[in-house]
Amino acid sequence: MAASQIPNLNLLRRGRGRGRGGIRGVEDGHGSRASGKDRVVQGTDNDASVSRLSAVELGYLVDPYATALTPPGSATRRFPIINRGTYVRTTAIDQLVAHFLGPYSPETQHKKKQIISLGAGSDTRVFRLFTSRRPPDVIYHEIDFAVNTATKIRAIRSTPNLQKALGIDPSSNDVTVSEAGDALHTPSYHIHPCDLRSLSVNLSLAEALPGVDRSLPTLLISECCLIYLSPSEAAQVVTFFTEHVFGPTHAPSEGSEKLQSSPTVPPLGLVLYEPIRPHDPFGRTMVSNLATRGIQLQTLNKYASLEAQRARLLEQGFETGQAAADIDFIWERWVKEEEKERVASLEFLDEMEEWRLLARHYCISWGWRNGDDAAAFSGWTTLQAQPAE
Amino acid sequence: MSDLDRAIEQLRACRLIPESQVRELCYKARELLIEEGNVVSVDAPVTICGDIHGQFHDLMELFRVGGDVPDTNYLFMGDFVDRGFYSLESFLLLLCLKVRYPDRITLIRGNHESRQITTVYGFYDECIRKYGSANVWRYCCEVFDYLALGAIVLGASSELEPTSSGMGDMTQSTMPVDDGELETEVLNSRGEVTMSTYRPRQRSSSDASTDSRNISPPRDISAAPGQTAAPTRTGAPGTGASGDGNGSATTCRTGAVLCVHGGLSPLIDSVDKIRLIDRKQEVPHEGAMCDLLWSDPDEIEGWGLSPRGAGFLFGGDIVKQFNHLNGLSLVARAHQLVMEGYKEMFDGGIVTVWSAPNYCYRCGNVAAILELGEDTSSGGTVARSNGEYGRSNGVGANGIANTVVSPGRRYRVFEAAAQDTRGMPAKKPVADYFL
Repeated sequence: MAASQIPNLNLLRRGRGRGRGGIRGVEDGHGSRASGKDRVVQGTDNDASVSRLSAVELGYLVDPYATALTPPGSATRRFPIINRGTYVRTTAIDQLVAHFLGPYSPETQHKKKQIISLGAGSDTRVFRLFTSRRPPDVIYHEIDFAVNTATKIRAIRSTPNLQKALGIDPSSNDVTVSEAGDALHTPSYHIHPCDLRSLSVNLSLAEALPGVDRSLPTLLISECCLIYLSPSEAAQVVTFFTEHVFGPTHAPSEGSEKLQSSPTVPPLGLVLYEPIRPHDPFGRTMVSNLATRGIQLQTLNKYASLEAQRARLLEQGFETGQAAADIDFIWERWVKEEEKERVASLEFLDEMEEWRLLARHYCISWGWRNGDDAAAFSGWTTLQAQPAE
Repeated sequence: MSDLDRAIEQLRACRLIPESQVRELCYKARELLIEEGNVVSVDAPVTICGDIHGQFHDLMELFRVGGDVPDTNYLFMGDFVDRGFYSLESFLLLLCLKVRYPDRITLIRGNHESRQITTVYGFYDECIRKYGSANVWRYCCEVFDYLALGAIVLGASSELEPTSSGMGDMTQSTMPVDDGELETEVLNSRGEVTMSTYRPRQRSSSDASTDSRNISPPRDISAAPGQTAAPTRTGAPGTGASGDGNGSATTCRTGAVLCVHGGLSPLIDSVDKIRLIDRKQEVPHEGAMCDLLWSDPDEIEGWGLSPRGAGFLFGGDIVKQFNHLNGLSLVARAHQLVMEGYKEMFDGGIVTVWSAPNYCYRCGNVAAILELGEDTSSGGTVARSNGEYGRSNGVGANGIANTVVSPGRRYRVFEAAAQDTRGMPAKKPVADYFL
């Protein structure tokens, strides 16, 4: 039995220690719920970072920032199928991001794009991205509970390597950290301590999410995040971005109403990574196992299939394209043969049936609307989606 | 009560025995196993089991459903350790039972009974955690090296004695009205028949179609599970088949059953070739011994590369030819998770038996064991058709079918044990998911 199977008591302790009171949204009625359930969800970030470190240490992924963003002492070797899953999930979203941003050149930094990562937790993508795109041609936002953002900001403050990746000098005026240590702003990177459920049209964007540029082509990423919200809350979060933040805007006109130009619609995409297929024996076991840990995947039933995921994207306004594929499909079709061989040689993966079973229960779906720029998401049209079942 | 019986009692309660006792046990086990050939001969009746993977409480459920040792004769096809929480308790209990009742339990080697695999999949870590050093892991690995690579089951009956459907007596017969013999039967863990298939009696070989139908479970399920298990077993495999097979002059021979953990090897065309392997070593990365523990049947023709990186894939034609050449009617193997607990392939030429329910506390599958009954029609003499004589002594003589008849197969399907109700220490399973 691997140590990874031992219940991680830290996971439960972490939220309790510093979680209380750090969560936004107390004012808007969510405060009463910012309790046990939220702490468990906040703790799931630990799971992801430990899995990432395991995959990095075994050579699945190259990520020089994984150690600094994993809680000290929690390093654990995961089972081969978990490592492979972490690998596929990470590289698939990397590919979607890369295809969205396009090749980097010194010119692209003048035509910036924007990424907003929902429930980003300890994610290392921004550090890896900024290392390879310097000076950055992307403005990167991360939104998470204050508990999680404070942890991350502490890690950044104490790790020169992370600062170097971001290209920031902590003593310079370019970097501001909130008094509570839970918000960070640099010219290209923003960490927002925010309960997604508190986002509403009544909020001033500059106050809630300072630094978000409403005109840039933008990619929203939800890596196992929205699934913890109720279906209506999850839809509201997406709608907040599609209609409120990046809704149609009218160019300031010269006073005459008749001359007003047609509205501008900024290009917007969404990438979701989450479990699917809860209704077969594996799915039912997953739901009940997670329930014993206090984890509820609230939108799982509503978006239970690839089909439902695509319909959801369309419904939420990503009208140009909607696509989805499960992790098994992505491993088979997206990963090149020689890379597959490299990965397969890292560890014995004895449990082929179990791998397929597990990998078929996670999917990545991606949808986009071109808005005013037909080329904004052209990179995504080359990615292979899974045909309808 | 001997030390061994005490150890068995302790392990049954899911409590470990001291390191010194493990060392002694492993030493005795090696002495015993070294005398076994690479392919052990086992006489029916026997209950064949697949992967256990340290799921101790489910192993107890298996014994509840299949009967206890030594009442039931067991054959375990490897993969005792790794993945589950209780590899040590599971393997040491099986080993104790082996030493205590060597003729009532057969253990063969799975691909997880290996130093390399156990360091990746958990058994090594479990030994370190529970004993504080790698000593016990080392003792166990030394035992692994002596485990047989396969087994041949002889003297299985071609026809099953129908189960009295959990009624616990023979008042209600479920015998078919037509003239078919019961070939396979599937029972749930309460001993209720959920499916049966019949085949025509062997004297009418012209009508070769297999009649298959579903029998709905009996309504009377009021008997407590604990009560039904024992009585139904006694009525079970093959004790009364003699009266039925009489008229046919065929005295059709049930072919032997080869049991291996994984499957066949392109380097092995006869059972005898398995006997020539020098098995007392760590499982190699390639070669015949590796293939027997790693290969999988697949819907292909001939041989294919295995996605596991060891062993091969083999098709129905390979199985058919191997069985034909060796006078076998069936290959029983484990190694692959099947959601229904068992899976027959290639016209019943091979079966996968999987005995770890809700594998890794995550997969949601049921498990199964396979019972083969004893053929008593020939007065208890077992036809020694273990491959050594090819097919020369047997069916061909009376000019009927050239194929041997497959044994009657009774599958008992069971679900994961409810851990908190067994009165045994059980950690709440925590399966890994991506979150």
